Amino acid sequence: MVATVADLSLIEQARVIAGRDLVRERRRGEVAWVIVPFGAIAMMLIPLGIGIDTPTLRRIGPGLFWVVVLLFGVLVTVRRTAADGPAERALLLRFGVDPVAELWGRTAAHVVLLLVFQVVVGLVTVVLYDVDVSRWPVVAILLPLIALGLALLGTITGGVAAATGGSNLVPFLVAPLAIPLLLAATESIDGSTTTRGILGWLLLIVLVDTILAVAGVLTARPLQEIT
Amino acid sequence: MTITPPVVELAGVTVRRGVSIVLRNVDLSIQPGEIVGLFGGNGAGKTTLLEVLATSLRPTSGNAAVLGTDLRGERRLEVRRRIGLIGHSPALYPELSLRENLVVACRLTGAPDDRIDDVLAIVGLGGVAGRRGRECSYGMQRRTEFARELLLAPELLLMDEPHSALDVAASGLVEHLAADVTARSGAAVLVSHDRERVEKISDRSVELVGGTIGGGGDGG
Amino acid sequence: MTAPATRRDAPDSLRLDLLDKTAIVALAVALGFAFLTPPEATQGNVARLFYVHLPTILVAYASFAVTLVAVVAYLATKRLAWDQLAGAAAEVGVVFTGFTIVVGMIWAKPTWGVYWTWSARLTLTAVMFFAYLGYLALRRAIEDPVLRARRSSVLGILLIGMVPIVHFSVIWWRDIHQGGTVLRPDEMQIDGILAAALVAGFVAWSLVGFALIRRGWRLARLEGDLEIALRSGDGPAAGDAVTAPLLDGPREGTS
Repeated sequence: MVATVADLSLIEQARVIAGRDLVRERRRGEVAWVIVPFGAIAMMLIPLGIGIDTPTLRRIGPGLFWVVVLLFGVLVTVRRTAADGPAERALLLRFGVDPVAELWGRTAAHVVLLLVFQVVVGLVTVVLYDVDVSRWPVVAILLPLIALGLALLGTITGGVAAATGGSNLVPFLVAPLAIPLLLAATESIDGSTTTRGILGWLLLIVLVDTILAVAGVLTARPLQEIT
Repeated sequence: MTITPPVVELAGVTVRRGVSIVLRNVDLSIQPGEIVGLFGGNGAGKTTLLEVLATSLRPTSGNAAVLGTDLRGERRLEVRRRIGLIGHSPALYPELSLRENLVVACRLTGAPDDRIDDVLAIVGLGGVAGRRGRECSYGMQRRTEFARELLLAPELLLMDEPHSALDVAASGLVEHLAADVTARSGAAVLVSHDRERVEKISDRSVELVGGTIGGGGDGG
Repeated sequence: MTAPATRRDAPDSLRLDLLDKTAIVALAVALGFAFLTPPEATQGNVARLFYVHLPTILVAYASFAVTLVAVVAYLATKRLAWDQLAGAAAEVGVVFTGFTIVVGMIWAKPTWGVYWTWSARLTLTAVMFFAYLGYLALRRAIEDPVLRARRSSVLGILLIGMVPIVHFSVIWWRDIHQGGTVLRPDEMQIDGILAAALVAGFVAWSLVGFALIRRGWRLARLEGDLEIALRSGDGPAAGDAVTAPLLDGPREGTS
């Protein structure tokens, strides 16, 4: 009897990997217990540092939210259960997981966790900064798009940094590359931006996400070679 | 001379790591049904050779084929699922239960998952299937890996120090698993320092010295 | 095989005992009282939240005080039970603080027009919430019970030392930046049925907090026993379920 080597689709493999990541993270709870509260407390500390003039806070709240999402949300992608240890590599090798499936599976799990981070920190921002929420439909479109961009950046740079044996390089590598996402996100919810302007910024985010996705797919196999 | 193609066929395989040569001109042919013991001192290149066979390391030069697939080509990915690997240290997801670890293995490889409880019982872990990986001792994790390989039924089985961490009762698993693979016309490679123990179950010994195959000779 | 003593408690732990039932009844009575009070003159019905808001934060403070005592007791005696109590009390403290903040926000929006103001008291409550959440996160991250007890008690002591400092720094900071006065709950007149509702609230929420801490403590003790059993590699709880492999069919064990 020969082993059944079923022709697994890429999507099926990615789905299993995403599910595995989410179950592992739910049990370890690093995002829920450490990263999300850290983001929330960051939003609380900023007014203590710069003063609590309500109109000022209302004005800077959205921008600060995106900065915190960028700097702290990226920590979601370097959480312990996403670490690329030798055992992890050995298993994926053993299972013959397509690196592209791995990329999408990991990214999908990152996106879900980043959305949780964004929603909680977003609510904290609304409460503490009394920000204008009239543009919530735009925010609802932005959150998943930004999450996807950050998740892809995290997955790709995580793969690069795995060769160096250190994941704490990831936030540093991600931050400069995420600037277009930050600008697009803040500008598209700025009260003075016109509808056409919003569409332009949203398109920019879609473009960034697409470039990252293509880059991720193209580099997935070579990245696995390194290790 | 055999009619069926060899499971492993290495010809003039050389592996460089940085400036040093880890494997030099290695020729090795393993036929279906063979159990090969691979020996050698520290730094002789045993683990590197295993990495080449596991397709995780591309040879710098030479020809390498496993199960008829050229290891330098892009079809390496597909052959991986047919190669069993029990590495130096146990590889399990610590947050998942032993059973869940096997479920993930089945789902990612497309193997049927209806035998999970059977193989867990075979390795003696039926009673602790629900325990998380990180709550398990080294030996229990090792046994889970044996269960995984029984489940995934590889055609080439690679084991690095397979006896380590197994208690007396469980050390029979090494032979059991190797026999399971060879019964399906597969082959097994056992890397070990415990020469006496491994030679008892292997058909042939290969000795690596300074990155080349020497000494050893064919056993029974 | 000797069953661990804790196993006898386990099936009961889901059942409500006298204290739990009393707490539930008291809570119902207290909520009843809160609805018996007349609507507040300026705020209307939303002011009833006061009878939840004030008792819950006091229970939260009391829970953190229990944590303090338990941490000190652990450091003095090195008995794990004290550490487990500290953890259980901190959990209840964090939950009650979070609950108080949410209730406060629901109350604040119609009253002040905002969910949040940066008053010293509010800021402090939030700081305390996060500080003790960090304490719980640390406890969660360390698996070894003894190591967890030692490390988290150091953080517990640090929190005890730092919270008053944070308190005064925030008050000082607010004094410098004091803007217009805001409507404060303590300006409300308290008498008659209102006082009764408040007392009922205190009693009920204290009972709930006490019952929860007791349950949390018992759960922590059970988990502690389990962890120790699992960790002692060859101990009965860990090893018994692992059997000899069934090689070559089920009949043959391996000798």
